[in-house]
Amino acid sequence: MASVLFDQRARPAAAPTTMKIVIAGGFAVGKTTFVGSISEIEPLRTEAEMTVESLGVDHAGPLGGAKRGTTVAMDFGRITIDTDMALYLFGTPGQDRFWFLWDELVRGAVGAVVLVDTRRLQECFAAVDYFEHLGLPFVVAVNLFDGVATHHPRDVREALAVPANVPVVLCDARRRTHVQETLILLVEGALRRVAGAA
Amino acid sequence: MATRGPAPRLPRVVRPYVLTGGRTRPVGPILALDTTVRTTTTDSHLDPQTPESSRILELCDAPTSIAELAGRLTIPVGVVRVLVDDLGTLGAVTVNPPTPAAATDAGLLERLLDGIRAL
Repeated sequence: MASVLFDQRARPAAAPTTMKIVIAGGFAVGKTTFVGSISEIEPLRTEAEMTVESLGVDHAGPLGGAKRGTTVAMDFGRITIDTDMALYLFGTPGQDRFWFLWDELVRGAVGAVVLVDTRRLQECFAAVDYFEHLGLPFVVAVNLFDGVATHHPRDVREALAVPANVPVVLCDARRRTHVQETLILLVEGALRRVAGAA
Repeated sequence: MATRGPAPRLPRVVRPYVLTGGRTRPVGPILALDTTVRTTTTDSHLDPQTPESSRILELCDAPTSIAELAGRLTIPVGVVRVLVDDLGTLGAVTVNPPTPAAATDAGLLERLLDGIRAL
């Protein structure tokens, strides 16, 4: 802050470039832990009313008749990348049956991490389908509860039938280095996709 | 259950949209969760109408996202949007919407990657 040069860069109205990564997965799969392991602030709980304009009759049940909006809570964390760039991490609400509400959250995201608990593998199917459908880069991260791998990533890949270009990794969400590595894989994938499209 | 997470929030003393005089929509466009807000001035003759607005001005001394403001103030995003919109009308803050194209910009992705690697 002492340097005049720095102040000239930092003080104008120009805001930093913000990048966004979404952390998805079923209830209590470790999303808050994942965000907290790498965020420079304690994960914040943010309540938002998400729009449900696209809500069909088939989906009306779980929402208890809500027609215009439903309030969901998400985790928010952030990382300063450099003086002009910040990365925002959004941990989605627990229940993936609300995935169709998340178009606005995912808009402009670099990609997503789908956290998986192998004991409840089916809970991540909706998120995997959603990201595939959107064409959003994503990584499947198998959370190592108690630090123990109970399934080989190859088996998880097969069970989820994810395409070959989607990394499937083991990740102890409590360990910063694991979380970091997972994010690196995701951004590398996003970069490859951009390079491939160019 | 997650092993750790945000502390449980205190019960609200007032219903959230009381803070906005009952308005649920901002006058301007709906701000995205990752829109950043920045306070334009430190000398406040602007006299924000609520403690929440004052707190927003404090927090936004550094660019701060709508999502973070809602989390820090423990008020819903919808309320934050209205308060920030009001502050913007007063000229007390500037808002910077995210640029979705950043997610597919190779140069920016490379910077992001370098940054994450350097953590």
